[in-house]
Amino acid sequence: MPAIPITVAAVTELPLDYEDEHVHRVYDQIASHFSSTRYKPWPIIAKFLSEIPTGWVGLDSGTGNGKYLPLPLDRPSSIWTIGLDRSRNLLEIARTAGVQGGPREVVWGDVLGQGWRSGSFDYAISIATIHHLSTPERRTLAIQRLLECVSPSHGRVLVYVWAMQQDELSKRAIPAIGDPSSSRVEDPSPKTGVDVFVPWVLASQPQDKKQSEGHSRNLIAKKRAEESVQHDGVGTDAPSQVFNRYYHMFAEGELEELVVRAAQGLGLKVGSHNEGVSEGHTSGVAVVQNGWERSNYFVELRRWQN
Amino acid sequence: MVRLITHNLLACHVKGCTRNNFPLLFENVQIEIQESDFNPDFLRNFMPKLEWKALVDAARQLGDTSLPLEQPEMVDEEFLKALHHVLLEIHVMEGAMVCQNCKHVYPISNGIPNMLLAEHEIG
Repeated sequence: MPAIPITVAAVTELPLDYEDEHVHRVYDQIASHFSSTRYKPWPIIAKFLSEIPTGWVGLDSGTGNGKYLPLPLDRPSSIWTIGLDRSRNLLEIARTAGVQGGPREVVWGDVLGQGWRSGSFDYAISIATIHHLSTPERRTLAIQRLLECVSPSHGRVLVYVWAMQQDELSKRAIPAIGDPSSSRVEDPSPKTGVDVFVPWVLASQPQDKKQSEGHSRNLIAKKRAEESVQHDGVGTDAPSQVFNRYYHMFAEGELEELVVRAAQGLGLKVGSHNEGVSEGHTSGVAVVQNGWERSNYFVELRRWQN
Repeated sequence: MVRLITHNLLACHVKGCTRNNFPLLFENVQIEIQESDFNPDFLRNFMPKLEWKALVDAARQLGDTSLPLEQPEMVDEEFLKALHHVLLEIHVMEGAMVCQNCKHVYPISNGIPNMLLAEHEIG
């Protein structure tokens, strides 16, 4: 059976309606299966959370199944991460994520919402979420919401998005992607990724065929799950279903550009505290690190204030 | 879950509702008490960031009067245990939170607050 390929998507409807159909509804339907493939924290995120001081409270914007809510495991209950997601079904899973420390705090909401006291969090993470927003303006706004919800003097932010630059295995799986001419022309940014549909297969074969067929059928989804666990269907007799999730795959440098645009929109200087102060700025955001890891771009930010 | 640690952070975000939009008031709530791990270091460090009056008022709304109206200068074990209970052991499972200013209702169902707004309500 051939792999189900990633296909180029065209965002033609109102962004919110589009995301409702191609993101929110999909996650609500695949929640349980999706969650079973997402349990292992990515190293840079685990490290980020392990360095958060005791007593801090943070937001996981787009928490999914809540796999980051119990971290750090070696200091249970020393920090509190509150999970926000648009998928109610994923939140039902997230509220009991992990085995330590009992139930989690989760909120049903939108990453573009502002249902918080401004600056009340000490840190915020947004992992594999902003790439589900279907316009550059909405992606910029999402970064702004993260910057606004954390403390203006010490807030830390970590963002992960899916990259056009895929790891080796994924390159084979998505040969059609990477052609810049297929990207959306109305995006004013010179660094523009591509809009795609990524299939999620709720498969259903007998146990003995799972290994061979499941591998190809779920090839794409499997690459997204860096942990590469077997996450085929659950062995029911129902026919398999394919759900296409909308993604904006980021080009190299696009995430940094988004951060700059978001920060400037809030009147924040982008640069180190010392540099900003020497130039007379009173508030800003420093890029602590950015890079590519396992088919994703990430950026870590810290807010500063004089 | 809606515990008071989360309630102390939530604010109304309806378009144009920027004043007196915190704290949200509980309405018709059902609560459950569930024990949770006591971490005094977390509490000591988190305390300065709390909106204290909002916490005390919310606790009283839920029938818990163990916290003093002013944050104490001397923090002892007994106080920290009371704070821990109020912040992390009282779960609001059903009901709603209502904005004092615009009266928007945020429902709570199965322990999960619904902070979603319709497109026209978003600022």
